[in-house]
Amino acid sequence: MKEYKSKNQAETEKVAQELIARLQGGEVLALVGNLGAGKTVFVKGLAKALGIEENITSPTFVLMKIYQAQHERIKRLVHVDCYRLEKAEDLAEIGLADYLGDPANIVVIEWADRVLNLPKNTIHISIEYINNQERLLKLS
Amino acid sequence: MRILAIETSCDETALAVLTERRGFLYLEKEAVYSQVNIHKKYGGVVPEVASRKHLETIMPLLEHTLGKNKLKNIDYIAFTQGPGLVTSLVLGVATAKALGLASGKALVPINHLEGHIYSNWLSHKKLQQNKTDIFPSVILVVSGGHTELILMSGHGQYKLIGQTLDDAVGEAFDKVAKLLGLTYPGGPIVSRLALMGNAHKYDFPRPMINSNNFDFSLSGLKTAILYFMEKKQKINQQDVADICAGFQLAVTEVLVKKTFLAAQKYQAKSIMLAGGVSANTFLKQALQNKATKLAIPFFAPELKLTGDNAAMIAAAAFYRLKNKRASIFTGEKIAKLEPRANWQLVAK
Repeated sequence: MKEYKSKNQAETEKVAQELIARLQGGEVLALVGNLGAGKTVFVKGLAKALGIEENITSPTFVLMKIYQAQHERIKRLVHVDCYRLEKAEDLAEIGLADYLGDPANIVVIEWADRVLNLPKNTIHISIEYINNQERLLKLS
Repeated sequence: MRILAIETSCDETALAVLTERRGFLYLEKEAVYSQVNIHKKYGGVVPEVASRKHLETIMPLLEHTLGKNKLKNIDYIAFTQGPGLVTSLVLGVATAKALGLASGKALVPINHLEGHIYSNWLSHKKLQQNKTDIFPSVILVVSGGHTELILMSGHGQYKLIGQTLDDAVGEAFDKVAKLLGLTYPGGPIVSRLALMGNAHKYDFPRPMINSNNFDFSLSGLKTAILYFMEKKQKINQQDVADICAGFQLAVTEVLVKKTFLAAQKYQAKSIMLAGGVSANTFLKQALQNKATKLAIPFFAPELKLTGDNAAMIAAAAFYRLKNKRASIFTGEKIAKLEPRANWQLVAK
């Protein structure tokens, strides 16, 4: 497990950017943290590292958003939000299976603690609130 | 021209038949089956449940709407192709395709957000008359999934001038409601409690209110309320009302300020409000007050058309067809139509 103490949003984004450099493609990133912890900020960092110019907005309402990446290995960022989901099967319903296991995709799942049975190559990321600005990030 | 419209983008199954009489839109039939009470217990829309419910509801609703004439007098079948929940959209799209293929009638795919915009035309005869000069119009679209400022320069002509960088307004209401232990959907309950609260008791941030653009950010406001609650620890009923009022005021101030800045910059001849959050009286009143002060016409949909409905989809199709801006699908082309869950009405 790796721990990072992030002083602000920019540093949280940077942790995400460094993570991208280490990925092969095809991984699932499971993000856990309270409302307001900075999960979407982390995803914005991933998007920047993948050369996505589009603005990353919350997928809470539509559950899944797909962005085209400009990156040598990774072609798509699949942004999933389980905030409103009740059970794991709901993820299958929205068609997530189509994107899992493809080395051209990175799938990042917010509120991943609401879903069980994540694939083996899942990287777990928790974001904890320290104070208004600072966060503790744990990657495993 | 008579249009049948089908809307199933989220948790409402809706159908409508719209035609034109003496230059005015005339709604011959409309039916909305709302699933909100079913989803309430989950604290949000559950896609699979919504999908099944659409499947159960749509055929009886269709028979009820069309009656014994069935599709005989229908000229076009309009349907919501996106954006929305793919599992919900797929039912409406499949129904439209089946009707189109079986009857030979033409299909007109419509963007759900454009539908919301046209709920204003349905609500105001003045807009239907087409006598007043309303374009360009600055339109604030606020709903559970969207927060956008759109410049409309004519029917079917849009430009995105600003949008949320994170959460949508309706989503922010829902999440704040959840933080406060209130029920879903959060919008109506937060605004109702706000009536009993003091909006100036607690000062919440107005994110990006002075930023040099027309974008919004609501995530920070939600977070600010979370911190506030953690710090305060003990929260009584009056606090909840005060937080609701303070939150609603903060959101409204940002929305109003940016809407009118946009109106000024683009020399708008009118301002419109659209989307589910247009049911919020406080927001509507704040926009109306400022518009009156500046003597600029302001339009908002009547309450029953603020939520998802098919009449607005029919109206959007009507103006697209009338202005020769509709994408029309017939015959084999129909088979290729698929839901577009992330369809943006206008790219920035």
